[in-house]
Amino acid sequence: MDAKTRIGYFVKNNLVLVTIMILAAVTALIEPKFLTVANLGNLMNQFGPLSFVALGMTLAIIGGFIDLSVAGIVSLSAVFTISMIDVLGQGGALIAGLAAGVAMGLLNAFIVVSCGALTQAKALFITYGLSAVYSAAALLYTDGATQHMSHLASRTDLFKAVGSGRAGFIPASFLLFIIIMALLHVFLTRTQTGREICLTGANITAADLCGIPVKRRITLVFVLSGVLSAFGAIVLFSRITTASPLLGANYETNAILAVVVGGTSLAGGRGSVVRTMLGVMLVILLSNCLNLLGVSTYLQSVCKGAVLIIAIWLDRRRVK
Amino acid sequence: MSIVRKVVKEIEKRKALTAILLMLFMMLFFDTRFYTAYNLLDMLNSAAILEMLAFGVTLVIICGGCDFSIGAMMSLAGIITIKLMDHMPLGPAICAAVACGALVGFINGFLVVKQKTEPFIITLGMGMLLKGIAQQITDAHPVPAKNLSYMKIANGKVLFGIPNLIIIMIVMLLLFYYILRYTPFGRNCYAVGGDYHVATQSGIRAERIKWAAFVICGAMAAFCGVLLSSKLNTGSSIYGDSTALSVNCGCVVGGTSFAGGVGGILQSFIGLLAIQVLENCMNMLGISAYVQKVCEGVIILLILWFDNYAQKRKKEAV
Repeated sequence: MDAKTRIGYFVKNNLVLVTIMILAAVTALIEPKFLTVANLGNLMNQFGPLSFVALGMTLAIIGGFIDLSVAGIVSLSAVFTISMIDVLGQGGALIAGLAAGVAMGLLNAFIVVSCGALTQAKALFITYGLSAVYSAAALLYTDGATQHMSHLASRTDLFKAVGSGRAGFIPASFLLFIIIMALLHVFLTRTQTGREICLTGANITAADLCGIPVKRRITLVFVLSGVLSAFGAIVLFSRITTASPLLGANYETNAILAVVVGGTSLAGGRGSVVRTMLGVMLVILLSNCLNLLGVSTYLQSVCKGAVLIIAIWLDRRRVK
Repeated sequence: MSIVRKVVKEIEKRKALTAILLMLFMMLFFDTRFYTAYNLLDMLNSAAILEMLAFGVTLVIICGGCDFSIGAMMSLAGIITIKLMDHMPLGPAICAAVACGALVGFINGFLVVKQKTEPFIITLGMGMLLKGIAQQITDAHPVPAKNLSYMKIANGKVLFGIPNLIIIMIVMLLLFYYILRYTPFGRNCYAVGGDYHVATQSGIRAERIKWAAFVICGAMAAFCGVLLSSKLNTGSSIYGDSTALSVNCGCVVGGTSFAGGVGGILQSFIGLLAIQVLENCMNMLGISAYVQKVCEGVIILLILWFDNYAQKRKKEAV
């Protein structure tokens, strides 16, 4: 194999990595400050909420589903958690928020499993409908008003630490992300349950015939996706110190974008959380680069839509 | 079979119609202005645009797809028409907007049919893209139309004092009913949605049929966008955010299944009407907007649940 084909292979197999390097190089050329330690910390900081939601989405997609309810879960668990701080104290509110995520994940799983919508296409509609219900519930819960952390009587330093604390120049949320990602990676690749989730996603009939309790694995996937979305919501509102009932809008598409761009296949069964980290990095660098180029937010959303469509298309071609 | 079981079966088949009748019956007991000619006509008038969107979507759903880019397409088409009217007369501007819709449908169709991608997610991405374009063109501000005759299209009353929108809707209803019921294209749509493989094996050009359905749906969405912006005399990028979900699910409410191959224009018409009547009833009863949203979501969810559950039972019976 000569050098040219070898480079070709490398590019083909590591398209995301190559794109990231190109984007980083371009950004560094336009803006020399890009390569400073301070900016590196900023970039890590941007991993924040989206990365947690994307981790949950990765699990759902590997398990053969797409969880569109994350937008609703983010909105509802954010306003719920913030309203609980005064009632339960900050530790209690944190747990209550995560429990709300678990509950919503369980509800998702229950509805999907009970009506037998065990294919990706069918479950899509159901989770989309659920998202509408959760968002509406968030509006109803707050009566449409934005919740402010500064209006609370209790201390909120725990949330402040999660949202914008730093260890040296590394943001706390990034550290948490790395830890959770590592745990999930081990879970997916080294434990039996994790492997069973992958097999369920790849071929649910085969998994069922092998004696894998597919319904329980699907439930687990939705619960994990719910709880990670709730965690993303907590990071998000801790950082911006307010929670609007519309907080989670568009999170589902951005999370899918990060996952698919990272290279986890929508067909299910194949992919990894590490790839999702690369995907999130690419999305962040892309918007960073577009910002530096002075592209409007509206055109950026056009770019994101186009990248999403192209990524799904390429993914489909690869599967074929 | 006893009469009761027959009735139950009939109700199961015509869930949406039963729901409408129930609601109409219920409203008799409340002292509201529900039963006034004004309210009933107004209800139909505000339903008209959603109904027409549903006609296009029904074609796609029957072919076994779905289209979630219609909301953004609708808002974009209105903006395009109003922007173009500065440079050209009314007719060509409308034609250009509809052509844009057809083009978007063509791209959707290409990605879904030729590249075999999941229609839901592709059209969702397309919606995001189109919304971005609409925001970019208008800078997220509403754009008013300056041409008075444009406003008259949707707000005028040409025939016997019946609003134009209702007349256009009825014409479209008859047209789509005819297409689906009596033309080879319409019949083939059912075959393609029912079983893609069998349809291909029987010599139907399944790809083309499904592709054409997407194009028609896109063009129809654009046409509705023109009517909407004419009705409100403005184009804005915020229209149509939740339209796609309610229209697609409205079709399912009526009995057009996401499994493909079943349903029809009349069913979709009734399904969407049921949602509209529900909304109107809740408004009349003074229920808060947020509670309405939750109710609507729960009802849509229930219907999706039943749609899936019925499919599951059918499969198990086989």
